[in-house]
Amino acid sequence: MECISVLKELSVHTAVSGYEKSMADYIKESFGKDCDSVEEDRFYNVIGIKKGNKSNKKIMITAHYDEIGFLVSGIDEKGFLRFTSVGGIDPKILLAQEVIVHGRSDLLGIIGAKPPHLLKPEEAKKAVKMGELRIDMGMTPEKVREQVSIGDLITFKAVPFELQGKKLSSKTLDNRCGVTSLIEILKELRPFKFDSDIYVVATTQEEVGLTGVEIASYNLQPDIAIVIDACHGDIPDAPKGEAYALGKGPAVAIGPNLHPKLTKKVIEIAKSENIPYQIDIERGDTGTEAWATQVSRSGIPTILLSIPVRYMHTTVETVHANDIENTAKLAARFIVKAETEMEELLCF
Amino acid sequence: MFDLVKELTGAFGVAGNEENIREVIKNKIQNVLDEVYVDTLGNLIGVKRGNGKKIMVAAHMDEIGVMANFIDEKGYIRFSSIGWVSPFYALGQKVKFKNGTIGAVFYEEKLDEMKNLKLSKMYIDIGAASRAEAEKKVSIGDTAAFVGEAVQEGDMIISKALDDRSGCAVVIETIKNLPKTENEIYFVFTVQEELGLRGAKTAAYGIKPDIAIAVDVTLTGDKPESKPMEVKCGAGPAIKIKDRSVICHPEIKKLLEDCAKRLNIPYQFEILEEGGSDPGAIHLTAGGIPSGAISIPCRYVHSPVETANINDLKHAVMLLRESLV
Repeated sequence: MECISVLKELSVHTAVSGYEKSMADYIKESFGKDCDSVEEDRFYNVIGIKKGNKSNKKIMITAHYDEIGFLVSGIDEKGFLRFTSVGGIDPKILLAQEVIVHGRSDLLGIIGAKPPHLLKPEEAKKAVKMGELRIDMGMTPEKVREQVSIGDLITFKAVPFELQGKKLSSKTLDNRCGVTSLIEILKELRPFKFDSDIYVVATTQEEVGLTGVEIASYNLQPDIAIVIDACHGDIPDAPKGEAYALGKGPAVAIGPNLHPKLTKKVIEIAKSENIPYQIDIERGDTGTEAWATQVSRSGIPTILLSIPVRYMHTTVETVHANDIENTAKLAARFIVKAETEMEELLCF
Repeated sequence: MFDLVKELTGAFGVAGNEENIREVIKNKIQNVLDEVYVDTLGNLIGVKRGNGKKIMVAAHMDEIGVMANFIDEKGYIRFSSIGWVSPFYALGQKVKFKNGTIGAVFYEEKLDEMKNLKLSKMYIDIGAASRAEAEKKVSIGDTAAFVGEAVQEGDMIISKALDDRSGCAVVIETIKNLPKTENEIYFVFTVQEELGLRGAKTAAYGIKPDIAIAVDVTLTGDKPESKPMEVKCGAGPAIKIKDRSVICHPEIKKLLEDCAKRLNIPYQFEILEEGGSDPGAIHLTAGGIPSGAISIPCRYVHSPVETANINDLKHAVMLLRESLV
């Protein structure tokens, strides 16, 4: 259950897309123990490097560490904050939430909701619009203006808690569960010596358009990329074929976005090593970093492993510890195999 | 400043056809800078050499407009838009083709309800009596810009194409008053911004600067019953935090804010909920270029009566100049 405590810790840190610098050092430290060196690029991608004996080939494993959040977009005459989202957020989930406004200091705030007594019947039926919501910090307008400026960050205040059956619920498990598996991969790789360089990259700005990975892929030019991200967990009302069971292993993606031979290899490994896995059929854009990575420079052979996360982009995202561990195990075994068989795997 | 804005906004430069505006700008900068060249896509690039940081400054010189796509037997011209053109803004306006031909833009009277107005229900009337007569002046594929000569009322400038000739004016004024600096500065007047930030993309790749600062217009929330937005005309240039295409790099945001504070000029922060800008393309280029923007608050963007405050332009020049040192 060690990975649960790692993930808990990761999930409480804040790194809203574009403003990840505040968390970069923490990730550097987590990678440092198992890497020869750790670098941070100008867009705050954190890159852990395991130098190979020959350094003739490069394998990159990515998981994004940025999170969805908000920016203050206005202060009204009564001192309530207007805000805009960074990344995709359903306004419904915002009612009655606690938030932290990162002004001159961190300030607590709440997003209110109109009580049912006051809701007109037609209002109750209407969708909630983010532009109509306000954050209440309980402060006078003068005090608010002194402490808060347009563009200040706002994050969810959420406390991680464990559910039954090795499950954790918290904010930002998309994709701190992926980052946790990066840390686990490094542990799994400890006994091995490679000819190739291994780059473990915690990327930024995924939630606003795969920015960090586009930059990292271009700069690192790996020969193989492994992307680890979250996929939808099996919630009761999920459409069939778009959600994956918690506890049944990583979802291995198949489709035009992924390299067919590498994907076949990773499935073979899962079978032979008895690592549980699920199949994720993707007809085109996977909506993950794999989409940008595959077409970086002259093309990078890419595979995608996804960890099922329930209630994505809410404060109660829920993940199963085994899935993180199995994702790491599968990725690590794949790296070991791919490293020795690379030439054969990459020729069509 | 107003005379410069008037000259720049008056020049023809619909996205993809920036030849005229490029010549106008080139003549203003070529004797001031160390090198001036045009790249493959048509971006105009002026360089101030130096051994310091490589900084790219971008203002787009293209403007929105229309393209003739069909001429009927009576000589009326059907058209499509180049960049985002609102049928409601276009209705009752004049457009001017590159060769000077002017036409009235109107709509099919059979239209049941005005809210269903679409560009496909509209046409340009250049006064021709037949297709043959029209074709003497306009061929399909020709582009036209809206007519809207710049005027000044108090501190406000009203004109077409303030998006982004006001930004071009700010950059030209900065070039004419270059600060003393070792930095190597690339002043880029980009093309095809209105078609998806295309010029900025190739220019940034060619230059590979250390940082980039764009100068463009932004929307405002200071009109009657506006959508809420904190930016106002006359309250100083806006430092961009985010739009639909980019989250500006915190270091560039801080650089610009520090400069504004140092100069003691008014400034504001911009969060633009719709629309993108050149930094959106630049920041993703060639392994990542930290990018930000100085925005000129502008009302009625993409109409022939775009309205901006001349003092915001003047303060933007001061801010840009300071940020290059």
